[in-house]
Amino acid sequence: MNLCRKPNLAHFAVTIIGKDRTGIVADASEVLYRLGCNVEDSSCTMLGGEFAMILIVSHEKPFSKKQLEAEFAAKNANTGLSAFIRTLKEDEVCYRGPEGELCLISVYGSDKSGIVYRVTRELADRGVSIADLNTKLIGTPEEPVYVLVLEAALPTGMAVEDVTNLLEKLKKELSVEISVRLITPVSL
Amino acid sequence: MAVRNIVTYPNQILKTPCQVVEQIDDWVRQLVDDLVDTMHAGPGSVGVASPQIGVSLRVCVIDVSKNRHGKDNNHGLLLMINPEILARSGAAVMREGCMSVPDYTGDVERSTELTLRFTEPDGTVREFEASGFEAVAIQHELDHLDGLLFLDRIASLKTGLFRRKSYK
Repeated sequence: MNLCRKPNLAHFAVTIIGKDRTGIVADASEVLYRLGCNVEDSSCTMLGGEFAMILIVSHEKPFSKKQLEAEFAAKNANTGLSAFIRTLKEDEVCYRGPEGELCLISVYGSDKSGIVYRVTRELADRGVSIADLNTKLIGTPEEPVYVLVLEAALPTGMAVEDVTNLLEKLKKELSVEISVRLITPVSL
Repeated sequence: MAVRNIVTYPNQILKTPCQVVEQIDDWVRQLVDDLVDTMHAGPGSVGVASPQIGVSLRVCVIDVSKNRHGKDNNHGLLLMINPEILARSGAAVMREGCMSVPDYTGDVERSTELTLRFTEPDGTVREFEASGFEAVAIQHELDHLDGLLFLDRIASLKTGLFRRKSYK
């Protein structure tokens, strides 16, 4: 849902991260619930031994970010969690999703520096917009393997084959495998 | 001919198993026509099931012949009354969206080959095999007849690869 349908609400970006344990989401969402905030959009995941939460929350105006910060500071004092809060402007709340094809790009190979940078720079220079990205170091200590998987929205007119061709030279240069496939949703 | 409004969740008709059609009369044939008109009116839509227009009967229409995933492998316009899947095999994941659940999409695993039986509006019973995208569309629409949405079948979060610690 496009958040700009709710002009009476103040919006905030909230980032919470801390050593993983049971109950982080319950603790954070309890703070938001008691304050009367709504979780509009969120993504939470394990990163190494940390648990990270990124949320867009809203509250009926008037409401200030100080109230959120104070509650999180009190709640997080003994838990080792850190919270960062930013007020979102109107133009950050209203957005248009990308309209081009959506593709999934997987890149993997022997670990080396520069894989994320080189791939994403190549895409950015062609106007390809990353919607989601995950990386992981796998394999063994002797033979570490790097895996990068991302979802990207292509500019109008660009096809999956164009992305494959675009990344072909990186494949050789970085000695990695790169595959690109179409994941544009089907409307049923 | 009538394009009907698409019912969206949380309307509970979408979560209610549909009744079997006991007798195919003019009313049912009109329902089929309305489903076809509604499907053609939806942008890029390849199927509509009765509960999506507010009717809890086991009737749906499908046409993947104009879709890029289905244009080379399809049975054209399918008008299905009391459809049943007799056999299924294979599996593939596709990111699905649904007119009854706007603004959300999710990866769903579906069988890639189906044997299907249904009755057409003139009473003919058809039985055939469908595969590929047509099979995906058929399963999505038949789920509607059982009160299931794609949200009930989301296969994984975006990157299951990274969250799996064991392969049980």
